[in-house]
Amino acid sequence: MSTSTAAFSSDWVGVIQRTVEVENSMKTADTELQDKYEICRCIEFIKSGKYQKVALQFPDHLLVDSVAIATELEKNTGAKLFVLGDTSYGSCCVDEIAAQHVNADCIIHFGRSCLSPTRRLPVLYVFGRQEVDIDHCSSVFNKLIEDTSTHLVVMYDVVYSHIISLLEAKLSHIYSNMVISKFKYENNSTEKDNYNGGTEPNLVTDDIQTFTISGRQVSLSPGKQIADYIILYIGGESLTLTNLMMSLNRCTFFTYDPQTRRGQQETLNINKALMRRYYLIEKAKDARVVGIVAGTLGVADYMNGISRVKQLVKKAGKKSYTFVMGKINIAKMANFMEVDVFVLISCPENSLIDSSEFYKPIVTPFEMEIACNQAREWTGDYVTDFRQLLPGGDNFIEMPSDDVSGNLETDVSLITGGIRRMGEEKDDIAVSSSAIVKRDDVLTVSTVHATSAEYLSSRSWQGLEQRLGETSVSQAIEGQKGIASGYANEKSSSKET
Amino acid sequence: MVNFTIDQIRGIMDKKSNIRNMSVIAHVDHGKSTLTDSLVSKAGIIAGQKAGEARFTDTRKDEQERCITIKSTAISLYYELEEKDLQFITQLTTGTGFLINLIDSPGHVDFSSEVTAALRVTDGALVVVDCVSGVCVQTETVLRQAIAERIKPVVFMNKMDRALLELQLDKEDLYQTFQRIVENINVIVATYGDEDGPMGNVMVDPSKGTVGFGSGLHGWAFTLMQFAEMYCDKFKIDRGKMMKRLWGDQFFNPKERKWSKNSGAGYVRGFVQFILDPIYKVFDAIMNFKKDDTVKLLEKLSIKLTGDDKDKEGKPLLKVVMRNWLPAGDALLKMITIHLPSPVTAQKYRMELLYEGPHDDEAALGIKNCDPNGPLMMYISKMVPTTDKGRFYAFGRVFSGIVSTGMKARIMGPNYVPGKKEDLYIKPIQRTILMMGRYIEPIPEVPCGNIVGLVGVDQYLVKTGTITTFDGAHNLRVMKFSVSPVVRIAVEAKNPSELPKLVEGLKRLAKSDPMVQCIIEESGEHIIAGAGELHLEICLKDLEEDHACIQIKASDPVVSYRETVTEMSDRMCLAKSPNKHNRLFMRAAPLPDGLAEDIDNDEVTPKQEVKSRARYLAEKYEFDLTEARKIWCFGPEGTGPNLVIDCTKGVQYLSEIKDSVIAGFQWASKEGVLCEENMRGIRFNIHDVTLHADAIHRGGGQIIPTTRRVLYACALTATPRLLEPVYLVEVQCPEVAVGGIYGVLTRRRGHVFEENQVAGTPMFLVKAYLPVMESFGFTADLRSNTGGQAFPQCVFNHWQVLPGDPFDHGSKPFTVVADTRKRKGLKEGVPALENYLDKL
Repeated sequence: MSTSTAAFSSDWVGVIQRTVEVENSMKTADTELQDKYEICRCIEFIKSGKYQKVALQFPDHLLVDSVAIATELEKNTGAKLFVLGDTSYGSCCVDEIAAQHVNADCIIHFGRSCLSPTRRLPVLYVFGRQEVDIDHCSSVFNKLIEDTSTHLVVMYDVVYSHIISLLEAKLSHIYSNMVISKFKYENNSTEKDNYNGGTEPNLVTDDIQTFTISGRQVSLSPGKQIADYIILYIGGESLTLTNLMMSLNRCTFFTYDPQTRRGQQETLNINKALMRRYYLIEKAKDARVVGIVAGTLGVADYMNGISRVKQLVKKAGKKSYTFVMGKINIAKMANFMEVDVFVLISCPENSLIDSSEFYKPIVTPFEMEIACNQAREWTGDYVTDFRQLLPGGDNFIEMPSDDVSGNLETDVSLITGGIRRMGEEKDDIAVSSSAIVKRDDVLTVSTVHATSAEYLSSRSWQGLEQRLGETSVSQAIEGQKGIASGYANEKSSSKET
Repeated sequence: MVNFTIDQIRGIMDKKSNIRNMSVIAHVDHGKSTLTDSLVSKAGIIAGQKAGEARFTDTRKDEQERCITIKSTAISLYYELEEKDLQFITQLTTGTGFLINLIDSPGHVDFSSEVTAALRVTDGALVVVDCVSGVCVQTETVLRQAIAERIKPVVFMNKMDRALLELQLDKEDLYQTFQRIVENINVIVATYGDEDGPMGNVMVDPSKGTVGFGSGLHGWAFTLMQFAEMYCDKFKIDRGKMMKRLWGDQFFNPKERKWSKNSGAGYVRGFVQFILDPIYKVFDAIMNFKKDDTVKLLEKLSIKLTGDDKDKEGKPLLKVVMRNWLPAGDALLKMITIHLPSPVTAQKYRMELLYEGPHDDEAALGIKNCDPNGPLMMYISKMVPTTDKGRFYAFGRVFSGIVSTGMKARIMGPNYVPGKKEDLYIKPIQRTILMMGRYIEPIPEVPCGNIVGLVGVDQYLVKTGTITTFDGAHNLRVMKFSVSPVVRIAVEAKNPSELPKLVEGLKRLAKSDPMVQCIIEESGEHIIAGAGELHLEICLKDLEEDHACIQIKASDPVVSYRETVTEMSDRMCLAKSPNKHNRLFMRAAPLPDGLAEDIDNDEVTPKQEVKSRARYLAEKYEFDLTEARKIWCFGPEGTGPNLVIDCTKGVQYLSEIKDSVIAGFQWASKEGVLCEENMRGIRFNIHDVTLHADAIHRGGGQIIPTTRRVLYACALTATPRLLEPVYLVEVQCPEVAVGGIYGVLTRRRGHVFEENQVAGTPMFLVKAYLPVMESFGFTADLRSNTGGQAFPQCVFNHWQVLPGDPFDHGSKPFTVVADTRKRKGLKEGVPALENYLDKL
């Protein structure tokens, strides 16, 4: 597995924004293994499912412990264990595809997770446990929020899930209107939530409205919106927090970081971040060629997500190409110069790529929706989870019917200051201009279909030139050997540099 | 105009040799709109006695309130020339009726883009000069533009009433003032035009009748022709000869009734004797209440007063008398019809400037011959808001063919390239309309040579464009503005939920103004960029009240900067591609002085023929000839003032990565390394390149990011500096206020480079350079320091290095870079060189 993904992705892993804490990569002492990785729970999971082949997925910084764990599990269960060396996409997502390479029956996912639902295999999440000083935590929140009748929602990083019931007991004495978010796993292939001990969600009764975000479920009091709540978040700065803040950008956030023992109101300027995304939406509106990048093969419905975006893009009169390229990086993305904007279909936490190093911007499916679906407007709400945009999702909005969007509409671009087309165009132009044209004016290719052909014709170098008669004939000589990333004769020279 | 039916107007439109398309241009407050009123009054749209007060062409409420023209406005006039005057027309005419399409334009520098738009659709210009303040900076700017567009000028010396009543100038002094203004204008004409050019000699000359005199406010005017007509019978010579006697060193001795070329005892200048003297007499009699003299004079001039007018005295009476004696409308309309070119005449020499395509294709010939049977070629120069919110009339000039309601036409935006589909729409024209000041009239069709408004093309064009029926047509050349949008403000809706309205409003604003730029920055801020503070103020007001109709918060104005380098890179910069297999070796160096400006002005362009461009660069800027031939591209946007030059020798596969390098260069030059502002005035030399032998490993993905990195490294090692925009400031004020001006300018890092007295007046003219950054609040500051006596005009002039090292904490550029980065949401501090420079 590891070799195949290595060919897939180069060694430029740092490109994807990951807040991996490298100092954690110290090997865990054997004594702590049991506790930290909940070995018992894993064993119970494997045994109860009678799984024969088990895939273990680790984030990079936990890989040091992988061998010890695998040995331990193998010893106790007798199942065949595989460690997935490198995940094809973000390590927060369950890599089902990699697991299927070894025909695994189930996956045990270690470390931080984005809790994206999966479809194919039963999954056990082992978040790892981090200690929290509950007394300190509650006293910090108490200082931050003095009004005890405030409506609060408590959310937390997955690694703190094990203490949450204790915390709930503590805090609910102070705050009368507090609700705790519960993890909600969607996994159609296995019985729900059976193995994910510790934080089993209570059964949700019908009269209470629930709100689900990033795999977290919150039961709201009747008549209340999520925007009416203040969010308490336990955990440090992470993609999860950013993601939550983007999605719930109307809520006030207070955080408590158990590592630093500090509580604060989050001042990370979410509005600024939103405005930057807003700019990307304008870019997406301008784009004529859209690259749809599959950024996950694990999250359920990703295929529907891709086809939804394809459909949207087509309706908006743009051309789309679909790319599967493993972990994205600058060099790979810049290989497709004709693409104006990329849409990354991925789990919510890996969707937001905020880097100006990329040659062309990368937007989320939600942003592409705003850009292409005329029934949708930018209201300041933000959806990071593409599944909510699909038919049946909370944020699904039907595209305007054909007779409205079929017409070619135009709009002023606020990026280039020019006119841009929206909607599919009728072929009135192609008919009139491309029938017969003088050859020296126009390259015939360019009028067949805009976009890529047009791009190619505008390049100064369009491929090998034949130069018939100009190149002298010579005998074929033996070329290089090996694979392209390092030929046999280059091995030594590349080491020198 | 009200006397005509649309059919009649349509009939007149066909007589293309009897059409005059003209704009009225001048410095601010020299009286264009007021003067235009007297022309409109002659054409009968508003009542005669209201002329001089109504400012008919100021259609907007704020224009009326501020007494300043903001938008250019078109009106059509009809004038019957007397048979006897026809002989003076040197071009072809048919009949005595003339259709005059007049565009009144704003005089304030901030709105000079409106002037540019007006000039494009007209063939002649009436240059109005206040004879008290003389030729000012904006007079020069617009006149220069007119000449460059091949627009023939005639001049009108306005505000003679002030010269007589306020300055009490002596007659000979007044003549000298006029003479000086004429000279000044001819100097400008000669500087920017060529006497042997295709337009012929366009210098103005009072004795030819191309200069008018008078007072727009009082509604009177004359050219030498009027007076020559009065006197030619008396002297029994023809009018043309008489006119010559009335200007220049032509002296008359009334006693001996003799002419001489030299002034001697008893000899008086013809102009003074025959023109100024009678006028002075009338002024003297009426203003000093010499009733008897007045009556005598009125009889002599055969002016009959009626009704209320008889009881008037003083200034009101003066107005009535002068208006009756020398009606402004007649004098001006005569001057216009006789001396300005018809579309037929003008398009012959304007075609080659207007048309981008080959000069012998159908479209070119249609324009050249102003042929109604040719293919339709029409230029849309601006968008005029309709009463229907969000919709615009596309306003422009038909150069060839006929545009008619319902016809299907090709609508081509400025980025259209023949053979491609970008910026091209084929749509029917919903309606064609006539635009007359505040009114519009539908008209079924309009032939070439006329100015017209179109309904239904506004959604396919932003500001300007070409409309044609000819499939192979190229664009009509886009307009070049004399001002740049260097001042910018960020706007947001007071109520965040009204963002969609704000965006819609910005899009409308972008259409309604020829130059304003409405953009979203990478930080997500909505930016409005304009020529100056006043321009932005008006834009904001329009946005708030007309386009978005919501309350808006605006930031303080900020300036856009440019990034440049001042030395050659101190080392050879190397960047390796992500896979380490490709290496680019480059160096940056500043472009020689003046080349960036040459590129701005299209003297050096990417479209030029390579060899002639190389020769030009070698001769003027001492480029190495072989290098000059290997300019890969301009940037940003493919046209900007930065170059990539291939200085390599014999590198394999180099042509293959050219596109990728160019893409990286466009990217880097658009977002410079210091604070992601555009680069300016840098040449990047590619010295060596090593590439992987296998094509897959030297694709765009490897080369584009690498190029950007190496360019950043080049810039960082070549002593990078910031450039700031600088205004040319012109201030007119009395001598006592000059000291105050110096004080204010010095405090604002400005420096005066010219100061002199306007001859014949007590006014001083101060010219200075002032950084745009320091110009905010300058006008108010200046007024308070000079007791309200000094009024500046600021126009963008050039870019200058902001002194100081951007890496030096506490220096000005350092603060600017830090602020800009913060505003754009970039990481604090300029990234270190190590990020971009690789080691071998």
